[in-house]
Amino acid sequence: MNSNLKIGKLILITLFLNVLFLQAQTNKDSAVHGVVTTSQGESLAFATVMVKDTKYATLTNEEGEFELELPYGTHTITVSYIGFSDTSHTVETSPSIQRTKVDYILKENAENLDEVTVNGKSKATAIETEGFAVNVIETKQASQRNIQTNELLNTTVGVKIRQNGGLGSQVEYSLNGLSGSAVRIFIDGIPISVYGSSFSLNSLPPSMIKRIEVYKGVVPGYLADDALGGAINVVLQESARNYLNASVSYGSFNTLQANANGLYRFSNSGFTVKGSLFHNYSDNDYEVSGRSVVVTGLGGKQTPITAKRFNDSYRSTGGTAQIGFTDVKWADQFLVGVTASDDYKEIQHGSFMTITPYKGRFMESEALLGNITYQKSDFLIKGLSLNVHGIYGKRNRVVNDTVPWAYSWNGERAIDFKGDEFKYSWGSQQEGGPTLAKIKRNVASVRSGLSYTINDHHKILLNHAYSGIDREDSDELRSVRENTFKGTRDLYKNILSATYELNAFQGKFRGSVFGKYYQQKTVNTDPFINSQTNEIEDEVTTAKVNDQGYGFAVSYAIHPKITLLTSAEKAIRLPNESEVFGNDGDNVVANPSIRPELSNNYNLGFRFGSFNIQKHEFTISTNFFARNIKDRIGLPIETSLNVNDETILYENQGDGTSKGIEAQLNYTYRKNLGINFNLTRFDLTIENRGAEIDVPNTPFFTMNAGANYTFENLLQKNSLLNFFYSVYYTDEFSYLVPQGKNTVGDEFFKVPEQVVHDFGLSYTFPNKNFVMSFDVKNLFDKPVYDNLSVQKPGRAFYLKLNYIINSI
Amino acid sequence: MKINFLTYRTMVATILTVGLMTACSSDDSPGDLDPQPDPTDPVEDSRWITIAAAKMGENPGDGNGGTLIYSVSSEDAKDPTVSIEPFDNGFIVPSNRTARLQASEDGSTIFNISYAGDTGGNYTKYTVEGGQNFAPTGSQVSIAQYVGSAPRWIKLFDGDKTGAAVYVSTEHQFDDNGTPEDATDDTYLRTEATMGVVTLDLQNSTIVEYQEQSVGLSPEEEADGYYISRIDMPTLNAAGDKLYIGARLSKVDPATAESDSDGEILGSKTIVLDYPSLLNPTVITSTVGHGNTNGYRSINSFEFEGSVYQANQGDPQGSHILKIGEDNQYDDSYVFNLDQALGVQDAYILAWRPAENGKAVLAYRHAGSAEGVAGEQGFFALVDLKARTAEQITEIPYDPNFYLFQYQGFAVDGTEIYLTQAPVGENGNIYVVDTESGEVTKGAELVNVSGSHFIGAF
Repeated sequence: MNSNLKIGKLILITLFLNVLFLQAQTNKDSAVHGVVTTSQGESLAFATVMVKDTKYATLTNEEGEFELELPYGTHTITVSYIGFSDTSHTVETSPSIQRTKVDYILKENAENLDEVTVNGKSKATAIETEGFAVNVIETKQASQRNIQTNELLNTTVGVKIRQNGGLGSQVEYSLNGLSGSAVRIFIDGIPISVYGSSFSLNSLPPSMIKRIEVYKGVVPGYLADDALGGAINVVLQESARNYLNASVSYGSFNTLQANANGLYRFSNSGFTVKGSLFHNYSDNDYEVSGRSVVVTGLGGKQTPITAKRFNDSYRSTGGTAQIGFTDVKWADQFLVGVTASDDYKEIQHGSFMTITPYKGRFMESEALLGNITYQKSDFLIKGLSLNVHGIYGKRNRVVNDTVPWAYSWNGERAIDFKGDEFKYSWGSQQEGGPTLAKIKRNVASVRSGLSYTINDHHKILLNHAYSGIDREDSDELRSVRENTFKGTRDLYKNILSATYELNAFQGKFRGSVFGKYYQQKTVNTDPFINSQTNEIEDEVTTAKVNDQGYGFAVSYAIHPKITLLTSAEKAIRLPNESEVFGNDGDNVVANPSIRPELSNNYNLGFRFGSFNIQKHEFTISTNFFARNIKDRIGLPIETSLNVNDETILYENQGDGTSKGIEAQLNYTYRKNLGINFNLTRFDLTIENRGAEIDVPNTPFFTMNAGANYTFENLLQKNSLLNFFYSVYYTDEFSYLVPQGKNTVGDEFFKVPEQVVHDFGLSYTFPNKNFVMSFDVKNLFDKPVYDNLSVQKPGRAFYLKLNYIINSI
Repeated sequence: MKINFLTYRTMVATILTVGLMTACSSDDSPGDLDPQPDPTDPVEDSRWITIAAAKMGENPGDGNGGTLIYSVSSEDAKDPTVSIEPFDNGFIVPSNRTARLQASEDGSTIFNISYAGDTGGNYTKYTVEGGQNFAPTGSQVSIAQYVGSAPRWIKLFDGDKTGAAVYVSTEHQFDDNGTPEDATDDTYLRTEATMGVVTLDLQNSTIVEYQEQSVGLSPEEEADGYYISRIDMPTLNAAGDKLYIGARLSKVDPATAESDSDGEILGSKTIVLDYPSLLNPTVITSTVGHGNTNGYRSINSFEFEGSVYQANQGDPQGSHILKIGEDNQYDDSYVFNLDQALGVQDAYILAWRPAENGKAVLAYRHAGSAEGVAGEQGFFALVDLKARTAEQITEIPYDPNFYLFQYQGFAVDGTEIYLTQAPVGENGNIYVVDTESGEVTKGAELVNVSGSHFIGAF
């Protein structure tokens, strides 16, 4: 596979050289400029000016002026604007005609209003046609509904969220079959791990988010991290305009979600104040049943019941505040701020729902982080832009489990076989003993990027990301002595990337090639008593890992409606703290020589559309993907040699392959009806010492479909009424590896096929400041599972009010 | 099929009866060098042999991909022309990780306690009906509340009446010297080990007794940082009034309370409890053997002629078989060292099982074992508890990829012991050892699949 990638790299380089060569011949540009006015002579601002069948396009400025750099040749330039007929002129550019002036007068076309084709690309479309296997989720509509960020991600093609319960419960993200530490999550390009669990995608409301970019397998250079299987980048709201947005939602299981965010900029000085607040709460007391939801009576006799979860409430509160200057001479953005968050999560059970539900086990976490942002385009010289984003702070997490009494699924104290209430012999809810385990971390992350736009065709980017975590563990329930001898673990990561972006053939070809350099240093400090001096000394061990990765992404518009997208990367995942240093609790010892996991990831996709047939518009996109993982990190099997001594260590032990296809269809009729559908299907196998096996506990086939319909002026003039309907399908999957053809007893391990329907409506009041929405989740109250026997909420109702002011 | 022997009160009586009955029906041609299954064996003298197989999870040999069982008649088990394919045709035992299986003495019932996962600790029993047919019987009961969802349990030899499971949790204790905030003058005192023991009525699926109590070592041993860190393998004594529980010791450095694996290995220890009350734990120590007595997955100690014989593991002199006499103390006059008996170095008993005649089949590895797919693996020996002799069974082929560590069970039919032999990911066979004659019969073929292995015959 490695050699394949090398060949791929060679082809790629050759391709680029060819392109450069061609560019050298046709690279001479000249400018076409002009003014767009109405037939009444008023200038038209923000009209679209574009050369048909190419990517050369621009918008007119506030004076109706435009300027387009075009290669030499003959071009048909079309100007369009909502409510006006398209107008085209043909111009010729050549070395002798360096600047050509063409003015446009657009005729009003009222009856055409519904059919105007807006040819500009949305930011989402622009990203989605860069060549990466990427999906962009725009949160604008969702932010007004009762939808959580994780739910939004779950409906995205190729993404599967595995959640262990309701709001606030533990979440695992899977991209095209790779999950866990193979998937990295970022907020504005900063790894979310810096913020800790109190500032997670669980707590971030969609209204704070501008868009979410999901990169599958191949991650652009500017998102520098060791993301083996892909990355999810959450881009938070940033607006040049003053705004205030507040919402509150209430619904089933006593779920309250409130948030507010806003920005104010003093137009004279550029002084800007920006802030957001969120608060989420839920009892999560939804009903569950199943083979482990039983009440145990005399002699241990079990009676199945339908129970309400009773130790599962969740609260998260937090916010960010930033002040500084925006759009001033010396900075596009210079902001300093603080992010604070705090959350509380009760834990009802471990990874599985067992007959011993927990009561009184909970986790608290908090974070306080300072941040600084600087962004400037045309920094020092034209075309050079710089951005620096830094975060430093503390975060803490405490797991509290000190209740020794056994509880039953009815929420009351459990009785033993004799009928007496009893305490667990391990003295806590989860086996392993009472704990007040605290992890204190000092975290720092600095991301900086420098990009130089040489011209419309060439751009170079350099990015660096540093992240450091100093971690200290303690447990109040342990003696001071034991805590004194607890070690500290520090992890520092530097990732450097260089990217070259190319735009050629009249914008039909877009490509980027990038290289990444990874460096990780882990420091383990363990105190011990020096037997000579009888003093406490520190034993310090360090491990360093270096590695390189590289990749490319290319898109080529074969036809204006057909774009080919292909990308590949040799991706790296650096071994984490416990893999390098082991874990005292699990008797895992250090393996400083462990190598990173690596994966050769390939994507090949097409995007068809958008096709417009009368008032129907549709887009189809599809992607084939392959991931070839090497040196997977895992634990060896228990043998007589390692069962009793503490020499179990993580090792590089096998390979893995994920192959599959995903497809997506979007359809709109007029502007009223929208339908989307997507499906993902893949195979995931691992090969270990010659034995190959299909990875269990993975949903291999999922489909999502959604429809929305908008009524205008239905109840009030200028009002909008939207109906939403979504259906999610997850195919049956098994917790166990596939079994033989005639075996029996398989059903015990199966998560059955699931179909879930959601319904919602939202009403936008005529002044557009106020939106009210109502959602029903899991309309038919079906049992839903992401993990074996762990039931998620049934039917639930939510009402949400949004208040938006877009100009203050 | 034979009926159950539940009415017999003592294990001795049971074993004698089994011995007498099977002696009449078992291979009647001892010494025959060309063992062939006897087609005229009357069907009513047959019993079920249930083969257990563990499918690969992520790593060859890990056995985490499901435990499958399949039963055949003892004639078929002995017939090399028969092929058994549990991975294709078996019943998947409901357990998230390798199930912990036990069988009734006559092989007609399989007992399972699910290990880990959502039903970890759930007890289920099945009537063996041949092939993949295992009919669940009795009501559901769980021991998870008492000994956790990954319980270590064993069926006692009391006529299939009782199962026992154990759990231990530990806590280091310190003297803060009157200054709770200042750690520098703190001193390590000892480690408290809390033991939970539960007994389960296998026939009626109910909890019989549960006790939780502290189990300590001698003050000197505790001051040196030793404590009982894992317990397993409860065994009933011949009188039926004491329960022996095997133990593993761990050690911390008293100066730092950090774990210390370089300490001296103490004499093997066993916890002795009153039965059936499960009270009054004491700890007995062998001067013969050193190392742990908690075994791993197959039963580690057995009653024979009034005494209990126990294997130890991790003994610096090589594994011993130790004897606990009728006085519930180690009989240190009984010295049976595997290194000496087999003429090897670093013998380590992986699994063993005696027949009622005091002759046992024993799986072991030693310093000369080759490194296979699952570490250094094992050989089989025929052991005589009375004579204290052991001899490698060379008729069972050795393969470096043969993985015995997770081995759970040998089926005993009179003086015959059934076992499974197959390297990880390769086909193998059932072997039947006549412990009396030493004769080995190569039985039915075991069809394997990639990365998987067989974990016993029941």
